[in-house]
Amino acid sequence: MTPAAPLIEGRDLTRQFPMAAGAVTALNHASIRIDPAEYVAITGPSGCGKSTLLHLLGCVDQPSSGSLTFEGRDVARLNETERSRIRLTRIGFVFQRFFLLPMLTAWENVELPQAEAGVSRSERRTRTRELLEYVGLADRIDHRPSQLSGGEMQRVAIARALANRPALLLADEPTGELDEVTGDQIADLFDRVHADGTAIVVVTHNATVAARAGRRLAMNSGRIVAE
Amino acid sequence: MSAWGLAWRTVISNPARAVLAMTGVAVIGALLFNMLLLSRGMLVSFRDLLDAAGYDIRVAGQGSALHRLPIADATPLADAIRRLPGVQQVALIRTDTAFAFVAGRERDGVSVTFVGTTANAVGSAWDLVRGASLPDTPAADPAPIIVNVTLARALQLEPGSMLRLRIGGAGTALPPVAYRVVGVGTSRFETMDEDAATTTLQGFDAAHGGEGHDEAEMVLVASRPGVSASDNVAAINRLRPGLRSMSNDQVLEQFNEHAFTYFRQISTVLSAMTLAFAFLLVATLLTISVNQRLGEVAALRALGFSRRRIATNLLCESALLVGIGGLAALPLGGALAIWLDRILRHMPGVPERIHFFVFEPRTVALHVALMTATGLLAALYPIWLAARLPIAATLRSEIVS
Repeated sequence: MTPAAPLIEGRDLTRQFPMAAGAVTALNHASIRIDPAEYVAITGPSGCGKSTLLHLLGCVDQPSSGSLTFEGRDVARLNETERSRIRLTRIGFVFQRFFLLPMLTAWENVELPQAEAGVSRSERRTRTRELLEYVGLADRIDHRPSQLSGGEMQRVAIARALANRPALLLADEPTGELDEVTGDQIADLFDRVHADGTAIVVVTHNATVAARAGRRLAMNSGRIVAE
Repeated sequence: MSAWGLAWRTVISNPARAVLAMTGVAVIGALLFNMLLLSRGMLVSFRDLLDAAGYDIRVAGQGSALHRLPIADATPLADAIRRLPGVQQVALIRTDTAFAFVAGRERDGVSVTFVGTTANAVGSAWDLVRGASLPDTPAADPAPIIVNVTLARALQLEPGSMLRLRIGGAGTALPPVAYRVVGVGTSRFETMDEDAATTTLQGFDAAHGGEGHDEAEMVLVASRPGVSASDNVAAINRLRPGLRSMSNDQVLEQFNEHAFTYFRQISTVLSAMTLAFAFLLVATLLTISVNQRLGEVAALRALGFSRRRIATNLLCESALLVGIGGLAALPLGGALAIWLDRILRHMPGVPERIHFFVFEPRTVALHVALMTATGLLAALYPIWLAARLPIAATLRSEIVS
């Protein structure tokens, strides 16, 4: 029986940042494989390369060396437009600081990526309503981020990340600016997303979130040291 | 949400900054609009003034603008020009300064611009408000005269009043001559606050002691419809070589090359400076806006928004700032032009009907084109900033900060 093709696979990934005092190696020959519908948590001390690895997996950054394929496509061979398209339609991003557009309502923030992807107005309306109900904010659709709590903003951000039905959800410290109770609520939401078939890779210091993942990778000094 | 929709929401998310930016663009745009109006205004107005007089050729004597000899034997010349096949109408113009007063009130008299002309020239140069024009046939003594509103007001003249004119200053030996006022109006060529009076050639000669000098300062010629003024100019030059015959187009060309060129140079320099100010204002505001939203921009790029989409959003923001400000600039600039025009028309020697700022549709089109180009250029650097943003590094630094 042949193993299922990985959703994303990175081999021997290295990322160096040139600095005035000398190059800094944030990621050092790391290899990783994420399968469809898998739930992976990446933990480690600050500065160990977790976010760097996440950015490479999300095609937001490019490795200094090593290879990365997404759904079988060599990311290094893709131009910026193609990588943007992958990020828009196949990957969802959830950030620590939410990064919602402050001048748009919750509804408009969730609808925006769908419009960018060319989804029709009627489909956008249906999908946006569905997503906001999914994250429990059906009664807050006309509220702007300034009128929402931290947890509510993060739920809107998760809805936005799921707008175009991505195969992979990447979350960088999604509970980093939330209290424990709210962080648990977000973790519950991730469970639901995973149960519905979306692969999740979450970088986190939160033990509760990490415990929910099916696989946990520990990083230190730019390397994956334990699994 | 379209790029325009997102741009609008971004612009109005900071209302104070938006209003200040648009007001700044409106003020700068108003100045630009004024400079564009000034760049052609006087020329257009002068052309209208020349054309409205009804004559398309002007014949003057030899000499310079400071000292020009009168045209001798003016009547035979006028008759010869009148006989040219391409000529429809001819008028003689004689000018001098005179002292005008009402009998018994010489102390209240005023200095006037005194013109003698053929009767058919009056209708095209004067707008009468009371009374009638000069009669076609020579009238009996006293000669008829038309006075402008300023003179009529100064000496309380009405049609039927008697007016006395003495040529020259206080030391003149010529006696004053009586005229009957037949009409009151405004001359197209009078300057502000100027006192002016026009009579027949016979009446003009009477003021000069009736010496019968057949001279004229200028001969006005109207070409027949369909006949080129330059052809008639050539024919007149053949009739009497040495005279300065010029069509209205040639007069305008000379005016454009000598007198008007200074206005045009000034307006060009000031137009360039206003555009530079507009560029700097919009570029600075957009750059600050982008720098304040780096995290947002990086997040949008991480979510899959292309560089082109980010650039389009910024272009739309620039277009909104410049577009709304630029539109507001038009009525503001128009009001400013009216005010400045009123001031400039008080310059000595400038006919009252000359305007320095003249509205033409092409000026609006040029204004729109220049403001559009400025808005596009001003967005280039902010677009470059946003499009070249390192996504991962920006997200990282936003979190750290």
